[in-house]
Amino acid sequence: MRLSSGKRRILVAEDEYINRALLKNILDDEYDIIEAEDGESAFELIGQNRKTLSLILLDLNMPKLTGLELLPRIKEDPDTKGIPIIVLTSDQESEVESLNKGAADFIPKPYPQPDVIKARISRSIELAEDRQIITATERDALTGLYTREYFYRYGELFDKYHPSTDMDALCFDVDHFHVLNERFGMAKGDEILKKIACCLTSVFSEQDCVICRKIADTFLVYCPHHDDYTEIVEKIMASCSEFATTIKLRLGVYASCDKKIDIQVRFARAKIAADKIRNNYSVYVSTYDEELLEKELFNEQLVDEFPKALEDRQFQVFFQPKYDIRGDKPVLSSAEALVRWFHPTIGMISPGKFIPLFEEDGLIAQLDEYIWRSTAEQIADWKKRLGVSVPVSVNLSRAEMYDPALVDTFEKITNDAGITKKDIYLEITESAYVSDADQIVGRVKELRDHGFFIEMDDFGSGYSSLNMISELPIDALKLDMMFIRSAFDKHNDTRMISIVIDIAEYLGVPVIAEGVETEEQYLTLKKLGCTIIQGYYFSKPVPADEFEKLLKEEKV
Amino acid sequence: MLTVDALKQFGADTDDGLTRCMGNEGFYFKLIGKVVEDKNFEALEEAVAAKDLAAAFDAAHSLKGVLGNLALTPIYDPVFEITELLRARSDIDYTPYLEKIRQKKAELVDLIG
Repeated sequence: MRLSSGKRRILVAEDEYINRALLKNILDDEYDIIEAEDGESAFELIGQNRKTLSLILLDLNMPKLTGLELLPRIKEDPDTKGIPIIVLTSDQESEVESLNKGAADFIPKPYPQPDVIKARISRSIELAEDRQIITATERDALTGLYTREYFYRYGELFDKYHPSTDMDALCFDVDHFHVLNERFGMAKGDEILKKIACCLTSVFSEQDCVICRKIADTFLVYCPHHDDYTEIVEKIMASCSEFATTIKLRLGVYASCDKKIDIQVRFARAKIAADKIRNNYSVYVSTYDEELLEKELFNEQLVDEFPKALEDRQFQVFFQPKYDIRGDKPVLSSAEALVRWFHPTIGMISPGKFIPLFEEDGLIAQLDEYIWRSTAEQIADWKKRLGVSVPVSVNLSRAEMYDPALVDTFEKITNDAGITKKDIYLEITESAYVSDADQIVGRVKELRDHGFFIEMDDFGSGYSSLNMISELPIDALKLDMMFIRSAFDKHNDTRMISIVIDIAEYLGVPVIAEGVETEEQYLTLKKLGCTIIQGYYFSKPVPADEFEKLLKEEKV
Repeated sequence: MLTVDALKQFGADTDDGLTRCMGNEGFYFKLIGKVVEDKNFEALEEAVAAKDLAAAFDAAHSLKGVLGNLALTPIYDPVFEITELLRARSDIDYTPYLEKIRQKKAELVDLIG
């Protein structure tokens, strides 16, 4: 580094006054020179100036501490090891020894021409500074591991020198690291990362492995093939047991990787494998296989083909009837609109496969509006042709709840189709209310104020506070399917359903149970006081023409 | 009064010495004035007398570096020789070498005046 004077600082450690004077005279114009006349005072000055010293000129024969004794001390101290040292010597055998001990260069005695001395000094400083720049970008400041860029480069270099070594690409992630940061603070989070890095370097030798922290809590290791990594992951987790919480690591392995594939892609595959076991608390290691790749490629294909599918009307709205069961005989009271994708080559694709994808990509907004509009048009058609009016509910995603134009969109859809606001119900999932309560509740109120009917979907899955429930702007509660499943599995415990029905009664809204599959379930729910039932017991989701038949029967 | 000519006459390689002093004659003469006061001359004599060859080597070695840098060849040459003999810890009579060094140093002291 340069001092504020613009000069770099050099220490001349030499016991002979004349030699020091000669060097100072040669270098004084370009450098800030400090002097030491014995080994001990040199060592002291180096310590004091460790941050500002650009170079040390070191005489080997000095009283108190010789240059050869001083060299290793400087090179072993992390604070000073980066300072280049040029040894001043008249003995050829000492030249080699000094270079072996870490000297950057030597200047013989009698001294060569001043220009030669200057050139050697400036070259050594330049090399050391370049090296420092590389080190700064090569290593992650927090953990001391390689940074991503250098990791890939060194990985490629490793392949070049060990072309026949069977290598694995590993990707380590900490489950819910952001939560750890939130709970314990960034400083603790950093400590955890450092600990993991330290374990990785002890488990994977840097002799034959390359290790990096890719980003945040993601670590990559390129190492010779192991058959099983379970023990290694457990060992690392055990070493983190000092922290107040359990650190769960997940490891994705792309084993015996194909070296013809770009190194970044190899690690992308390891990452895919790691993500597969996210939230799976019993599994630590996941291996990448072709099936995973196919799934990824399939997902990509779906996203790519979405615009064309929308244009070609490959998405169809299906209707699942809801029955009012309060009377002696169940009465078809409404329906839920559900989307199906009929792909020209793949066939019918389940919404479970593409809805989460589209939610991630933000494509869901386009798809939802298409479904809302198609549903509204279908309702209008039935009203006109059959003279019946059965409300149909459509689903809204959480992201759409933030759209300030949402009310206008529904106003326009109902106006364009020529139906009333009572013909189309809106289902909003409970988790949406919880995540950003004020904003979402505000939006729901706005929709209700405009006359729309709101069903709270998946009730019981989103941990609404009881306190908040009493203020919720809703017209119906839809029980989460899990309640039905767990109530009728081995435990046969319907108490939770009773509680939800009580809540609905308190709010003065009907309870809708979905996922009802058997007569036993239907009868129990009826007995408990459930108002409306939806599920395979009555009907699966059906295309518009089949639902039309149900409408006609009901009319008769 | 020291002059470049006088030093040349003495046998010093003044071109070489002056180059190391960046051509500054005054500076060169000042350093030559210092070298004759160098304590290592005495240290060398005492160590040889005490047969402490290691200490004698250190003193000679230091002198060699300084004399070489100032290109004072007539003193440098015997110092160089004795340094190598001391490095090998040769069991010889060092008196002639010390005598030569003493003599050449005295000549230089005379030149300085």
